[in-house]
Amino acid sequence: MSGRFAHARRRLLSFFLDWLAWAYLLYAGFSIHYIRTSPTLIWRPEEKFVLPELDPWGWILVAVLTVELALLCRAFGVSLGQRAHGVVLASADGNPQVGFSQRVLYFFTSHVALATLGLPLWLRPDRPWHERLAGVALVPRARGAPRVRPWWLSTYVLMALALVGVTVALGWLVTDIQIRTLVQDVGKPIRLWRGLSRPDLSYLFVPHPLEVDSIFGALVKSLFMALLATVVGAAVAFPLSFLGARNIMASTQVGRVVYAVTRGLFNVFRSIESIFWASIFAIWVGFGPFAGTIALFLHTIAALGKLYSEQVEHIDPGPVEAATAAGGNGLQVIKQAVVPQILPPFLAFTLYRWDINLRMATVVGFVGGGGIGLLLRNFKEGLEWTQVGAVVVVFALTVWILDFASGWVRERIT
Amino acid sequence: MAHLAIERLTKVYERGKVRALTDVSFEVNRGEFLVLIGLSGSGKSTLLRCVNRLVEPTSGRVVLDGTDVTRLSSRSLRQTRRRIGMVFQQFNLVKRSSVLANVLAGRLGYVSTVRALLGRFPREDLERARRALERVGLVEKMHARADELSGGQQQRVGIARALMQEPELLLADEPVSALDPATSHSIMQYLEQMNRQDGVTVLASLHFLSLARRYGTRIIALKDGRMVFDGPPSAIDNAKFKEIYGEDAEEVEVR
Repeated sequence: MSGRFAHARRRLLSFFLDWLAWAYLLYAGFSIHYIRTSPTLIWRPEEKFVLPELDPWGWILVAVLTVELALLCRAFGVSLGQRAHGVVLASADGNPQVGFSQRVLYFFTSHVALATLGLPLWLRPDRPWHERLAGVALVPRARGAPRVRPWWLSTYVLMALALVGVTVALGWLVTDIQIRTLVQDVGKPIRLWRGLSRPDLSYLFVPHPLEVDSIFGALVKSLFMALLATVVGAAVAFPLSFLGARNIMASTQVGRVVYAVTRGLFNVFRSIESIFWASIFAIWVGFGPFAGTIALFLHTIAALGKLYSEQVEHIDPGPVEAATAAGGNGLQVIKQAVVPQILPPFLAFTLYRWDINLRMATVVGFVGGGGIGLLLRNFKEGLEWTQVGAVVVVFALTVWILDFASGWVRERIT
Repeated sequence: MAHLAIERLTKVYERGKVRALTDVSFEVNRGEFLVLIGLSGSGKSTLLRCVNRLVEPTSGRVVLDGTDVTRLSSRSLRQTRRRIGMVFQQFNLVKRSSVLANVLAGRLGYVSTVRALLGRFPREDLERARRALERVGLVEKMHARADELSGGQQQRVGIARALMQEPELLLADEPVSALDPATSHSIMQYLEQMNRQDGVTVLASLHFLSLARRYGTRIIALKDGRMVFDGPPSAIDNAKFKEIYGEDAEEVEVR
């Protein structure tokens, strides 16, 4: 949007933002009140929560109230919407000091503009007459202009604080947070605490009578699950990452389609967590590390593919230009000018991914992916807390060592 | 016949509909050292990039030795690009790669894809790279990483890379504007040497008129994508200078 109507757009959007902010404040406040006074313990948002029951005149009242509050904010301070769209109220000659009477006048003329559905805005988008009448103008906010009020008294800061506060309060109620229970019932899982604090390492190398793997055996399985998923995933993601890089593909129409499809697939596969894949493959190929490995592998391709592609897009285009000018073809140019630039970050990402995959391997094991996750689940369901403690300790130690090692390597290659 | 002929070349960038070049025509004879001058944004870079089609011209022709470069298939275009060396303002080296690897990139048009992918260049190319580096005085830096070199040294690597192509035409896009004056002259002298000893036709864009006067055998000036001057360096007088660079410009000397 350019030209005259950019002005109208800024004014309109900033007003709607203010209006929405107030509407949200009222709505969230109402919801908090509703939850706190609700007679039942079971909270059913769909019943009264989504749309509060109000008389028709009540709705009108709410609408008028929110508009008035928004207009007040806009006239007597820098409102949230004005701040977000980078405009401030100034007097007609551009002076940032606006008199009180001018502000009052602007508050009233704004009503006229609103009642006529923004007619002044459509007639003169850059200088609507409800502003001229009040002797003020909404102008772009000057960078580094001195503050009229300290930040903690600015309208937009107060408004933002209120929005955050109300959201936290509402969230607190919705997620059913009870600090008192947290503190009081600390002793409830006492057997668990006891088990965890006294890990029984006697099954570290010998399998538990009810289990197939020893703790160490299961850990090795998980390590290899993560390793295999990472290495094979990286090998698949590497060539795909060039197809998903705009700067490589965007020169032709076909290339742009391939780029969009590749990036789309990356996003879809990335947003489906490994835990779902593991559930599927546990049924498909049976419980065990194979299912877990495929689950991690699929997610790794998508996650690494996206990271790799972005790295390819951020290369210095100069060497590509030079290699092309020397008569290189597409593959030659990629090998000569792109690969040397991306190899170190690729390695760093891959190591990082191994970290993630090892941790994910436990979660995946829980839902049928085998390895140490499976062992953890079995011990937990058998209420053998000293064994659970042993698994947790061994696993945490392994993750810590690998984290440290891969961090050390990453530091050295980038 | 002229070595290179630019015929009614026009380039309009689709985004923003910017007319970078409008109807530019001139001919360059073999062995000339042609300098393009003009303000930033006057179309010098675009013109140079149209010659080897790093930028696709919108209309007009570029004729090199009788072949119309603008109509070549991508395969023959790559073959033609081998004959056209190029030196860049920002050197365009792969910073993480060795000097040698950067110089060998000049041979990409000559080696097979498989060789390039494996990074196994023929023995003659390695020998050629050593000679090119000897020529620019950097043979002892052969295995250094490119980003360990100073700006002037990096541009010399860029020249060595162009030498690898054994070009008959050299395009130099602001080869010295990222360098200090003393280094600028040393780089320009390498270009002059290629021009005089090897008979390479040079097309260089330069910021400073004093450098253009010193090294060019002929000067072409662009202003807003149009050609406003074509002649020997001595023909640019004060009035002409003001026409090219604008009324407020002052000539700056690079010594």
